[in-house]
Amino acid sequence: MNIAVRFDNVIRKFGSVHAVDGINLEIAEGEFFALLGPSGSGKTTCLRLISGIDRPTEGHIEIFGVRSDNIPPNRRPVNTVFQDYALFPHLRVKENVSYGLLVRGVPKEQRFREAESMLELVKLGGFGERSPSQLSGGQRQRVALARALINKPRVLLLDEPLGALDLKLREQMQEELKALQQSLGITFIFVTHDQNEALSMSDRIAIVNDGKLVQVGTPQEIYRRPRTKFVATFVGSSNVLSPEINVAAGGDANWSSLRPEAVCIGAAGEGRIDGTVKTVRYLGATNVVTVIVPGGQISAQVNANHALPALHTTCSLDWSKRSVHNLDSE
Amino acid sequence: MMQSPAMTGAPSIWTSMSDVFWKKPGLVIFLLLLPPLLWLGIVYLGSLFTLLLHSFFSIDEFSGLIRYELTFKTYLELFSPANFDIILRTILMACAVTICAAVIAFPIAYYAARYAPPKMKALFYLGVMLPLWSSYLVKIYAWKLILAKEGIINWIVQGTNTSFLMDAILGIPIIGGNSLSISYIGTFLVLLYVWLPFMILPIQAALERIPNSLLEASDDLGAQPAQTFRLVTIPLALPGIVAGSIFTFSLTLGDFIVPQIIGSSRRFIGQAVYAHQGTAGNIPLAAAFAVVPILVMACYLWMAKKRGAFDAL
Repeated sequence: MNIAVRFDNVIRKFGSVHAVDGINLEIAEGEFFALLGPSGSGKTTCLRLISGIDRPTEGHIEIFGVRSDNIPPNRRPVNTVFQDYALFPHLRVKENVSYGLLVRGVPKEQRFREAESMLELVKLGGFGERSPSQLSGGQRQRVALARALINKPRVLLLDEPLGALDLKLREQMQEELKALQQSLGITFIFVTHDQNEALSMSDRIAIVNDGKLVQVGTPQEIYRRPRTKFVATFVGSSNVLSPEINVAAGGDANWSSLRPEAVCIGAAGEGRIDGTVKTVRYLGATNVVTVIVPGGQISAQVNANHALPALHTTCSLDWSKRSVHNLDSE
Repeated sequence: MMQSPAMTGAPSIWTSMSDVFWKKPGLVIFLLLLPPLLWLGIVYLGSLFTLLLHSFFSIDEFSGLIRYELTFKTYLELFSPANFDIILRTILMACAVTICAAVIAFPIAYYAARYAPPKMKALFYLGVMLPLWSSYLVKIYAWKLILAKEGIINWIVQGTNTSFLMDAILGIPIIGGNSLSISYIGTFLVLLYVWLPFMILPIQAALERIPNSLLEASDDLGAQPAQTFRLVTIPLALPGIVAGSIFTFSLTLGDFIVPQIIGSSRRFIGQAVYAHQGTAGNIPLAAAFAVVPILVMACYLWMAKKRGAFDAL
C-alpha cells in the first residue's frame, strides 16, 4: 500500500500557540480520510500544511514519498476545496473551473471543453456561463469541487466542505462525494467537526484535539473503542463512567465509556444501578433519557415505542458488561 | 387587563413622531436627504449649469462684453493652436501623474493591506494622511525650495559629483529646463507628491477586501505568484485603481496652483480658466476650458466601465 501523505513529527506554532503539536500520521493512497475535531483543534492547519499554503515550524510532510518542505503549493499534486469555496468572483463558472488549466497554458478551447466535462461530473452541466454570485451554496460547492478536480490531483483536500449546506443537501452531497471518491480512486482528506459526517463517509478517521492526534482508526474502532474520555464524548456523545459509578454498577474501578444505545431502562431495583430521571428528550425514532445516579449521570437511548419512565421517578439502568469499554487515561 | 407603561397616558410628541417615522420609513430618508439635495441641486448643479450655459456664449472682440447668444464660437476657440496646446499639455500631465502614482502607490498599498501588522498599519495611515493635513501651499513652496537651483537636490548632486546626470535630465528637450523648479519635471514631481495619497488609499481599501483564500486557491490550483497577481489580485484591485486614478487624474486636470508656482511658464487648463475669468474677463472661454476636464473625465469613466473595471464592485 502506497503512503499518500506522511506527517513526520509535524509542529506548527503561531507565536506561542501550538496549532499542530507533534503529529505523526500516515494516510494511504486511495483512502477516504477524515480529520475530526472541535473548532480550533488544528485540523484545518493540518490540511494547509499538506497543500503547502502553510509550512510546518518543525518536522516534515511527505507527499508520495517526496519531502515537500521546499515545494510550493503550485507544484504539489494536491488540490483543495476551500471552506468558503474561494471561487473567483470576477470569473465565470467555466473560467473558475478551468483556472488550473489556464495557469498551465492549456489552449482556451480545450480548457473550456474539459471544464464542461468536469461540470457534468459534478452535475452542473450547462452552468459554465454563469457568474459564481448567481449560484446557490450547494452549486458553488460543486464548482469548487470541479475546479479542484480538473488538475487531476492525487490527493484532494476538503476543508469542511459541507459545513455551509442545509441538512438535506449535506446528506446528498455526502453520498455523492463518497461515490466520486470511489470512482476516481484518489485520496480524499477531509476536515470536519461533524462526527456523523466523519463516521458515515470515511475509511479512517483521525481525532484531533489541541493540535494533537488523539486516536486514529476506522469509524467502527473509533465509535466502539474510544481511547480517551475526549473521543468517547466527542464521537457520538458516549456516557463516561467514573470508577465509582463503575464499582457501584458491579464493574471494575476504571474510567470507561458506555454508548447510550447499550443502556436499557427498567423498574427500580431490577438493573445494575438505580437513579432518578432528570430529562427525557424526544428525537423522533428514539428517546434519550438522562438519569442521575450516585456520582454522575447516565443517558440511555431507548426506542420510541418503549414505555418511558416519568420525570423525577426512580428507575434502574442495565447494560451488558461487553458494552463497557475501558478508557486509557482520564 | 394590565396595560404596559408605554401605552398609558397621552403619547409625548417624541413618541408620536417616532411612530410616524416607523410607519413611513421613506419620510425619514426624505427629511435626512433634503438639505444635502437642496445644496447639491441649487448650489452645485445650478452653478454647473450656468457654467455650461456660459460656455455657449461668446465675447465681443471690440467691446469685450459678453454676447448672450448661443454659439459654438467659444468652443472653436479652444482649437486654436495656443489653446489646444494648453489642453493637450494638461491631459498629458494628468496621464503621466496618474500612471506614475498608480505604479508607486500599488506596492505601498499592497504591503499595507496584506503584510503590515496592526501597528505598522496605523503608522501607514498616519504617514499617508499626515501630508494631507498640512497646508497645500506650504507643501508646494517647500517643494520649490527643494527643487530650486540652490535647493537640497542640487546640493546633493554637487556634493556627489553627479552634476552630469542632473544636466542630462534637465537637458531633455521640452520637459527639461534651467532647474528642476522651473521645468515640467518639477511640476510633475510635485503633482505626483500631492495627489499620491488619493491613489494609495482606494487601492489599499480594494486590496484589503480580497479574501486571502482567493489568493491561496490560486496558488493551490498551480498558479505562479506572478500569475496569481495578474489573474486574481489586479482584476480584483482594479476598482480601487480606477477610483484612485479618477482622483489623481481629475485633481491634476483642475490644478492651477502647482503649475503656477513650479514649472515653466507655459499654462495648464486651470491657469487658463483662472486667467480668462479674472484679468481677461473672458468668462465664456473660461467656461469652455472648464468643460474640457468634465468631458475628459466622462470619457475616461465610460471607457473604464466598458473595459469592466467596475465589474468586481
